[in-house]
Amino acid sequence: MELLTPEKIIDSFKTALGDSFIDAKIYQCEVAVKKNKFRSLWVEVKKSAFRDAVDHICHLQQYPHLAIISSSDLGAEVELIYHFTIYYGHHLEELSLGLRVKLPKSDLKIPTITDLIPGALFTERETQEMMGVEVVGIPDKRRLFLPEDFPEGAYPWRKDEKGPPNDMLRVLPGREPK
Amino acid sequence: MTLEETKKATYTIPVGPIHPALKEPIRLALSVDGEEIVDVDIFAGQVHRGIEWLGMNRNNPIQSIYLAERICGICNICHPFAFVMAVEHAAGITPPARAEYIRTITAEMERIHSHLLWAGIAAHEIGFDTIFYLAWRVREEIMDLIEYVTGNRITKAMFQIGGVRRDITEEQFPRIRQSLDYYKSLFGQLKRVFLDDRTIRMRTKNVGVLKREDALKLLTVGPTARASGVPKDVRQDQPYAAYADLDIKAMTPDMVSGTVVGDVYDRIIVRLLEVKQAIEIIEQCLEKMPPGPILAQPKTAVLLKTLTQAEGEGIGRAEAPRGEVIHYVRLEAGQSTLATWKVRAPTYVNLMAVPTILKGMQIADVPIAFASIDPCMSCTNRIVVTDRAVGRKSVVGYEELHRLSVEKTKELPR
Amino acid sequence: MSLKAFKRALWVYHLNTGSCNGCDIEILAVLTPRYDVERFGIMLVGSPRHADVLLVTGPVVKQMVPRVKRIYEQTPDPKLVMVVGNCGIEGGVFYESYNLAGPVDQIIPVDVYVPGCPPRPEAIIHSVVMAWVKLEKAEQGVS
Repeated sequence: MELLTPEKIIDSFKTALGDSFIDAKIYQCEVAVKKNKFRSLWVEVKKSAFRDAVDHICHLQQYPHLAIISSSDLGAEVELIYHFTIYYGHHLEELSLGLRVKLPKSDLKIPTITDLIPGALFTERETQEMMGVEVVGIPDKRRLFLPEDFPEGAYPWRKDEKGPPNDMLRVLPGREPK
Repeated sequence: MTLEETKKATYTIPVGPIHPALKEPIRLALSVDGEEIVDVDIFAGQVHRGIEWLGMNRNNPIQSIYLAERICGICNICHPFAFVMAVEHAAGITPPARAEYIRTITAEMERIHSHLLWAGIAAHEIGFDTIFYLAWRVREEIMDLIEYVTGNRITKAMFQIGGVRRDITEEQFPRIRQSLDYYKSLFGQLKRVFLDDRTIRMRTKNVGVLKREDALKLLTVGPTARASGVPKDVRQDQPYAAYADLDIKAMTPDMVSGTVVGDVYDRIIVRLLEVKQAIEIIEQCLEKMPPGPILAQPKTAVLLKTLTQAEGEGIGRAEAPRGEVIHYVRLEAGQSTLATWKVRAPTYVNLMAVPTILKGMQIADVPIAFASIDPCMSCTNRIVVTDRAVGRKSVVGYEELHRLSVEKTKELPR
Repeated sequence: MSLKAFKRALWVYHLNTGSCNGCDIEILAVLTPRYDVERFGIMLVGSPRHADVLLVTGPVVKQMVPRVKRIYEQTPDPKLVMVVGNCGIEGGVFYESYNLAGPVDQIIPVDVYVPGCPPRPEAIIHSVVMAWVKLEKAEQGVS
């Protein structure tokens, strides 16, 4: 397997995705005494090409490691970042690759990738219950962490009116909830 | 088994009898055919405390370090470690090199304590309590050292964004070296006890096998993955802290046994090797530690202002004793809390391998096989056993399981 | 504080209601050779039905409330409840979360509080002895 540089990886994304590729940036900083580089790569793609992008990552590395899906409430949109790590097992060669995709709040749907990466199941279930993003085609729809009596339609990580209701928060006596 | 059936049958009591490290409540639903396990379902989230929500709504980033520390009482170096790195990357702060070395030393001390803790618990799971007490007695030495260096046994509060809060001075080196020598002198004995003992071999060889392919597909991390022959170790793969200066190699079981099976025995080998490796890393760090400041910004108020004004995102990765910890942090200018905080603990992904590990095994092997991934947020406190052969469903308590496991050890041919 | 006699062994049941594990491994450390409370007859047991003392750690997450209550009911009288760690006493760092129902004394009556995050093993031993004294008094009908 050939290890590409971050610049070449971005080029390969451009070739593979064409117009659906939106943006990419490379972050790097120097670490400790020898000043080896910590590198991370952030790629943003259109929602329509999301599965193609994951497929492309699977070509860069046979079994890409999907660490976690992080989700942010940006107001009108929800941003999902799929944090992959590729080129593991090689001394100082590993790269963090964040695959960013933005969903409008009117259409919070993302296709599942459990067929490509079976281990994505837990984090997809978590994204579903915590952010209210519907993962289309997920093999297991149940909640992962939240209790069964947690209100439907409330999602802890949302910052709009769908966040956890104030009366659920356990507040110290004599204090106001934030 | 459908969810409805499980719901009726599992009345989970968070049983925490003797080894709390495994006793964080989690539910497993096992379907068995006679003695053989055919399916496993996992119910996580019995201890969901909403930590990420607190970091996004209540705390400022510096307060969140202490929250990150309390994600887990055993790995409470690596969580703040990954967290501060993520914030540093997001805000563009570079910690001084000396701080990187101190961070590395404390992280490796934690690895020694955690692996010894695990070794004791694994021995307890097969009913070998002598070894359990031995391992925990040996562990007290590193706890003393941790207390000597950081000031506390469990929650160390060493980390600060842009450095560490306490220095390790030249006068402390002899005491640290003394502890390391103690472990070095003990290593041969530990190896004999854990790798050559007949009982341990019989209970762990070819038990709980996780194949390399499965480990890769299910995103397994840490010693569990390395025992299956995946040489994946953040300390080796992606430079962070002082590990970037050292030449670290991921430990795989073939270094001792020549082959990779991916069973419980291999996981013991990997953890033992990592204890040895941790001692070497601390020694190298003591030797190479550069002089200089330990904080990029010693004034907390100034630091807090920088963080409030900062805009950006970062990812922090650290190799915890159980595997890779990842924290993602996004900062928004003008916002005093974190805009987004996502934590990925190693057990989160390792749990997905549990069904594969347990399938096809006997009920009496469940405790040791489950313990072998060193589950951090979890415990087999109560398990629903559905017997397909007779269509009978019964709830087996953890004690019962443990008793079965101990009996199996007793029945081994002498 | 005086212990008249070690009339019998004290059996302790440990209940984790969502703690971070910090207190739990210290409780375990108390049992192992360095601190070795078993020499005093203090022992962790696997069922609340055998226990004299309930050792509760953690801030009590919502899923745990019915279980905590049920375990309390299962423990035979006379019994004592000890809370180990700050988060069980007043929520600690987890306060204001949406998934908390605690602290512990909002759910079951508590006799002994052991502050600390986590408390040192010595503090845990000290509190178990305090609980012991209280239990002896309860048995003698003195409150």
